[in-house]
Order: sequence, then structure tokens, then C-alpha cells
Amino acid sequence: MSEPAPHLVISAVSKRFGAATVLDRVDLTIRRGELVTLLGPSGCGKTTLLRAIAGLSPPDTGTIALAGRDVTHVPPHWRNVGVVFQSYALFPHLTVAGNVAFGLKVRGAPKADIDRAVQRALALVKLGHLGGRRISALSGGQQQRVALARAIAVEPDVLLFDEALSALDRKLREEMQIELRRLLQDVKATAIFVTHDQDEALTMSDRVAVMNKGRIEQLAAPRELYARPASLFALNFVGLSTRIAGQVVGGQDGMVDVVTPVGRLSARGAFQLGASVIVATRPEQLRLGADHEANSASGRVRSVVFQGSRTLVDVDAGAGASLLAELSGREAEVPRVHDEVRFAWPAAETFAFAAEASP
Amino acid sequence: MTDAVLSAPVATPAPDRERLAAFGFVAPSLLITALVFVLPLALLLGVSVLDPKGGVTSAHYARLLGTPYYLGVIWNSLRLGLLTTLIAFLISYPAAFALARARGPLRSILLATLFLPLAASVIVKAFAWTILLRSDGLINTVLIAAGIIEDPIRMIFTQTALIVGAVNIFLPFMVLPIYAVVAQLDSRYAEAAATLGASPLVVFFRVILPLTLPGIVAGVALVFSLSVSAYVVPTLLIGEKYPTLATTIAKAYLLAREPGFGAAAGVVLLAIAIIVVALSALLSREPK
Repeated sequence: MSEPAPHLVISAVSKRFGAATVLDRVDLTIRRGELVTLLGPSGCGKTTLLRAIAGLSPPDTGTIALAGRDVTHVPPHWRNVGVVFQSYALFPHLTVAGNVAFGLKVRGAPKADIDRAVQRALALVKLGHLGGRRISALSGGQQQRVALARAIAVEPDVLLFDEALSALDRKLREEMQIELRRLLQDVKATAIFVTHDQDEALTMSDRVAVMNKGRIEQLAAPRELYARPASLFALNFVGLSTRIAGQVVGGQDGMVDVVTPVGRLSARGAFQLGASVIVATRPEQLRLGADHEANSASGRVRSVVFQGSRTLVDVDAGAGASLLAELSGREAEVPRVHDEVRFAWPAAETFAFAAEASP
Repeated sequence: MTDAVLSAPVATPAPDRERLAAFGFVAPSLLITALVFVLPLALLLGVSVLDPKGGVTSAHYARLLGTPYYLGVIWNSLRLGLLTTLIAFLISYPAAFALARARGPLRSILLATLFLPLAASVIVKAFAWTILLRSDGLINTVLIAAGIIEDPIRMIFTQTALIVGAVNIFLPFMVLPIYAVVAQLDSRYAEAAATLGASPLVVFFRVILPLTLPGIVAGVALVFSLSVSAYVVPTLLIGEKYPTLATTIAKAYLLAREPGFGAAAGVVLLAIAIIVVALSALLSREPK
């Protein structure tokens, strides 16, 4: 399979607001047809990066190239981007069709072409019958679709979603995530989502860029991001984990031995002897029972939370350490609160991170 | 559902009783509105068509709409209203945006400068303009002292003085409604339009202007109805040589003792104001 050419290339982009550095030499390359999420807490710079790509807030330094053209300082109306805003920003003085037609009208497209494109875009978001409606007569979910149709109608080089789904209620949001992903793949759109919702990021994207303090901490496919977090921040931001502090006492071949309050643990990582680290693993790696080949720890069950397909068990391992285990619904044996239990988990799925990087 | 449930006493009163109760609450204000607004207007309309010798007459309207002099008077009022409204709008629209963009103490200072003159009487402000504009007034004195002119320029009792004074006095009524709309305007609308390919000029005419239209309509309605019927401003700033409907009404009641004619002029003035306000309101209708 040949690698598609880079479609959006962001190089060393920085932006400051007063004394605060909002973007700190960000590099990001996106291929045509790729769906990428910028994931991070508020203030991490994800929205600023999106606005820089849209041309709404140009970077101080660095360059942005879109479809082979340097657009760093090109104003938004000459960029051919589509933006779906969190508030949708649908024009209240225009009808649904008027909103979708806006981009083509201001580009001076012939009326027949506009009508055809509007019909196509509205059909794509399943609102073909509502073209004549006023915006205020639509539900939130319908407005979301109109905003999407408006952005798609101009066939932009890249679609940008600024927390576009966060105003919807949970059930509708989950449905839209899957539908939107399918729709974007159908029209072969290149899209960037900005969100603080990890589920949205994992569901929607081919790759996720985890952002923190104006930098991209990790850029990886959702599965890899979850299984191989590159930093303590990425680990914390995506998914649940067990985290235990300790001291490195030995190691070789990319593995370290760490002394922790729950015992000696092996983890992936390379650190000097004596370094303070956080040892972490994902809850589904923990299995009930002892295993001398693997890491293990014991403690008293603090709580058991049943969540349908899975059960989360929180264990007090003593000395302030706790274990979080996820047992699948099929597992027959689920401990009860106050039970003494021992869990084991593979060293290969255990990671060590520098403790001072803790947020 | 069982009969027991159906026959149980319900908390909500019957619709008819509810409506009656609602009317009871509204009735006092309806009564006041009728007494204060509807009754005088009906009297005005009545007086304008009643012949003192008995019967109904259209003589007052024929005189107003059939005499070149009075048509000129109507035109004077219309002109004062239209010019004042237009100039006030051209100043207020950018001013409202500046006001909405201003932050902190600057905004408070600007708003105060706009509001404070409302506390002073129209007569005081009109007199202030006569002091500024007359031959030995502040502006002429300064210009002569600076050597820019040798003889005082005639400013007071000109149409320029009239319009300048009227615009100044009625300006807040244009700025405030537009400001109220502009301050609520989400900047995302302009950004969305820009990303869709609209240049700043297109953004303005296709998005900003239509979205701020309700504020413009409110301002136009207020300033036009105030300036078209202004009495103090033309009396003090231009006087006899620019008779308006308002000054004609005053003369008809106070000097000529012709209440019928004055009432007819009042009705014509009211009709002009209603027509212009209705026309401008039509512009701001929502689509469909």
C-alpha cells in the first residue's frame, strides 16, 4: 500500500497570548482522508491550533501548509476549510438551505450548481426535507447536522470540528460519533476534531494527538495510544489505570525493576538507578490470583462497581497504593468488598514514567 | 385508568376559569392603557373631523394637504426626521461596535458620556447649542481668535444648526438599541462566514448587517418618531423660517385657537411616524 502524500503539514507552530505560551513548536502532519483528533484538557492549546489551521488566529511563528500550499498567513476566506463550531454558528436570518448554500453563494457559483450541492449536502446528513425550515425551528441534533452540511457543501480541503458534538446529549452524541465517522469516510474527507472527550477521540479518529501545555505529547492510533501511552499525562487522560509510585533498583533491555509499597515490580522503561517513577498498568490487565512470572500485589477490596459488560474492582494495597482491576462480565468469580485478594498482571503491559512529570 | 382516578379532584383549574383569571390580572393595565393612550388618540381624531357648528368636516385635512404652504411644512418635518435619522444612524452604527468592543473603564466612560445627556432637559441642550453656534458664540470666537476666519460664520438659525442639534440630542436613542444587539452578537457568525469563503465586506453585508437589523430598526423607529415631531429643537435652533408640523400644531392651539386644525396636523404627524416605523419593521422580518 502506497503512503498518501501529506495533506496538512504543521511545522514548528507557536502562539503566545500575552505571557502565556499556548502553542509551543507544534509539528503535525496529516494525510489526505485521515481523521485526526486533538485531545486534551481545556487550555492545552487544541482549539488555538484548530483556529490557526482555519486561519482565524494565525500562529506567531511556524508554518501551515494545506493541500500543497503555504497558508500560514492566508485569511480564512481564501483557505477552503470547513469549520463546525461548538455553538454551530448557524445564521439565524437564513433558512436551513440558505445556510448550506452560503459558502457556494459567496463564491459566486451558478444557481443550478448551488441547488444541486445543497440538496446533496442535506441528503448526506438526512435533512433533505427540512431545507425551508428556520434555524430556530430545529432541534440541537438537527442544527448539528445543518452545520456539518454547510461545511461539507463547499468541499473543503479539511474539515475542522471544534467540540462540535459536546452540545448534544450523551445518547445522541454517541450515535452521531459513529454516523459522522462513517459519513466522513464515505465522502473521503480529511477532518480534525478538537475534543476533551476521550471516548469521542477513540471512536472518531484514525490517529489521536494528545495535547498538554501547548505541545503534542503523543500522536498515535487509538489502540496504540491506549496500550502504549508515551507519557504519564497520556496514560491519565485516556482510559483508567493503576498507578503506584516507586524507586528504580535495577533494569536491562528496556525493562526496569521498581521497588514499590506493594512489592517489587517490573515495568517497561529506561531509567537510572534510584530514579523516582510511577509504575502503571491498565485495569483489564489485572487477573485474580498469583503468577510468579508476572507482577503481582495483594490487598483488601475497597469497592466493586458493576457496569454491565464489566466490573471494576478497587483494591487497597496498603501504604497509600491502590489497584484498579477490570473483570469482564463473563468471569465467574467476582470478589466482594473486604475480601483479601491477589492480582497479577504481565510485566510487558506495565509502564514506568518519570514521577516528576506527574500533572 | 380507572374512574376513581378520573373523578379525583385535579389541581389545574378548568381552561375557561384559567383564562378568566388571567384576564383579571391583565385588566388593570389594559384599563390604564385605554385611558392614557387610546382615549386621547380617539379624542384627537374626533376633534380633527368635528365641525364646531355640528356635523363632520374634512376641511382641516383639505387645508393641510391642499395648501402649498402646509405641504411645505409637512415636507420640513419629514426632512428633519429623515436627515436626523440617517445621520444619527451613520454615526451610531460604528459607535455601537466600538462601544461593544471597548473593555473595562473605557466602556463605562463611553456609556456614561452617552447616557448622561439624557438626564438634561431637551431645552437645556438646545440652548447649549445656541450658545455654541451664535455669532459671538464659542465656535466663532475660537475660530476668529485662531485666525482661521475674520468674520463670524452664520451658524445659528440655519438648517445645519437644526440638524446638528437634532442629531446630537437624539443620538443616544439610536446608539443604545444598536449597541444592545451588537453586544449580543456572537463573533462565531463572522468567523463561520469567513471560513465559508466570505470576504470581510461580504461578511458585513450578508451576516453582520442582517443580524443587527433589529437594533437598527428599533433605533430608526425611535429617532425618526422623536425628530419628526420635535418641537423644542426647531423652535430654538432655527425658528420661524423652518415651520414644522410640531410648531404648526403649537401655533394652532396656542395662538390661532384652532384646535380642529391642530388636531388634524397631529393626526398627520402621527400617520407619518406610524408609516415610517411600520416600513422599517417590515425590513427586519424573519425569513418565512
